[in-house]
Amino acid sequence: MRWRLIVAFIVVALLAALASQWVVNLLIPVFPSLHVLVDPPRWLNLLFYNRHPGQGPPQMRLFLAVVLGLAALFLLAVITGLAFAASRPVLLPVRRLARAAQRMSGGDLSVRIQPRGRDELAQLVTSFNGMASALEDKVGELEQMAARARQFAGDVSHELRTPLTAMTAVVGILHEHPGLTGDAATAARLVRQEVQHLNRLVEDLIEISRFDAGTAQLVIDETDIANAVGRCLRARGWSSVCTDVPAGLTARLDRRRFDVVLANLVGNAVRHGGPPVTVKAGIQPDGRGGGQLAVEVRDHGHGLAPAAIPHVFDRFFKADTARARSEGSGLGLAIAWENARLHSGHIDAGNHPGGGAVFTVSLPLDAPVSL
Amino acid sequence: MATVLLVEDDPAARQGLELALRRLGYGVRAAETGEAALRDFRDAAADVVVLDLMLPGLDGFEVCRRLRRGSDIPVIMLTARGDDLDIVGGLEAGADDYVVKPVEPRVLDARIRAVLRRTARADSPAETYGELMIDRGSLIVRRAGRDVSLTPTELRLLLVLSGSPRQVFSREQLLGLVWEHDYLGDSRLVDACVQRLRAKIEADTSQPRYIQTVRGFGYRFGPV
Repeated sequence: MRWRLIVAFIVVALLAALASQWVVNLLIPVFPSLHVLVDPPRWLNLLFYNRHPGQGPPQMRLFLAVVLGLAALFLLAVITGLAFAASRPVLLPVRRLARAAQRMSGGDLSVRIQPRGRDELAQLVTSFNGMASALEDKVGELEQMAARARQFAGDVSHELRTPLTAMTAVVGILHEHPGLTGDAATAARLVRQEVQHLNRLVEDLIEISRFDAGTAQLVIDETDIANAVGRCLRARGWSSVCTDVPAGLTARLDRRRFDVVLANLVGNAVRHGGPPVTVKAGIQPDGRGGGQLAVEVRDHGHGLAPAAIPHVFDRFFKADTARARSEGSGLGLAIAWENARLHSGHIDAGNHPGGGAVFTVSLPLDAPVSL
Repeated sequence: MATVLLVEDDPAARQGLELALRRLGYGVRAAETGEAALRDFRDAAADVVVLDLMLPGLDGFEVCRRLRRGSDIPVIMLTARGDDLDIVGGLEAGADDYVVKPVEPRVLDARIRAVLRRTARADSPAETYGELMIDRGSLIVRRAGRDVSLTPTELRLLLVLSGSPRQVFSREQLLGLVWEHDYLGDSRLVDACVQRLRAKIEADTSQPRYIQTVRGFGYRFGPV
């Protein structure tokens, strides 16, 4: 930008020089005395119109040529300098504007520029500021709405917990009551089952609202992965799941959250994928010269529909909309994903070339604790 | 059978938990507010307190702190899942364990039993480590000749650690040995209890002599 301006300046300067000579030529018939402006001085004649051949030493001409060349260079430098100085007031606001736009696209909507002067550039700066503040207001409003919605979901879940505490406490009594037979016993069993389902749903809702509110925290422990995987599967009675975890593989992570991630992925594979379900763990390069923990959960079913892959971690997402309500809350994979993210890790979903869906959890070996 | 002092403000939850605990064979005294709990506490002759944290008026944390001033009765908090501030605050106030609402009666039962088992006596002579005297038979701990008042959980932790001096216990191991929690127990229980125990038996908690931290592994007793 700057060099283009300078070249333009030089071109304009040269054209102006030519034009001024043309104007002077036009005026000479009226004001003959103006001829001094256009007539070449005598020393130029010496140089170019050598009227007296043989006169004057050749060194003298060479000297004059050098002086002339230097003068031309000096003139060019002066013009360039002037162009430089003239371009500054134009370029400076443009640069500030560019920097501000960059910060804004980086997410800082509070950026504003002090307008200077009253020219078009100042107007541009003022409109930029107007746009930025309008955008900031709008985004702030949307964020507030989203926060209110999240707060509401969290509040509702918390409110549900109190009646559920009473129900959970007594539903067992009802279930075990020997006096209940026939329809009453069936009803009691149904109530108990659905109270448990409701419990899971509320628990998951509360868990996810805690991620939304940013209050979820890690409790880090040195964890033996083979041990953690084994316990997770045993606790849920998933004895048919095959594991391939090297002994002695450890990572510093939140054990409960790791268990939640694993249980949700394996549970998903067991319910919706085909057997056998396998869990494989190991260390993989993390792309920054270090290693990270990679846990792969694979089933041998039909795999995920390609259109569903980007949405599997969405809340309440169901790959098959016609499918009846499953025993999960519909939040399991979303919670697994949030838990991985809390560890500064991530989960990838896809299909194995050999068939079946593959979920790969990548976690740092030493989870950074955010405070 | 043991008597439980149940502190819960919601009538349905209080009644439901009382029903369930009675069926499990416990004697139950229910209190609606923190003030009532502190008032009834003495003549209730309770063996364990099950305390809701969210109470109108005096909240659960404050009730726990006030209970601790005059008593070493085990306190189990009723909390929301993973409400970390609540859990940490409750443990700092001196609670021994926590359960998450809505709690299954069998889970609460297991926790109460575990907390009551912590006062089991062993038949062995008193041991002395530096200024510290530990008597496993009478469950008395003295520091420099003066009795130290420990809650059952603090006592059990000290007995487990001092039972194998110099051996390093991971937090996971301690959760199993002291709290009888499964593998997914909350290791903050251990840290909070170690803090409280140090405050009672160490001369300088920043330079612990008896309960030492082994960074990255866990805790050990001594070497004294």
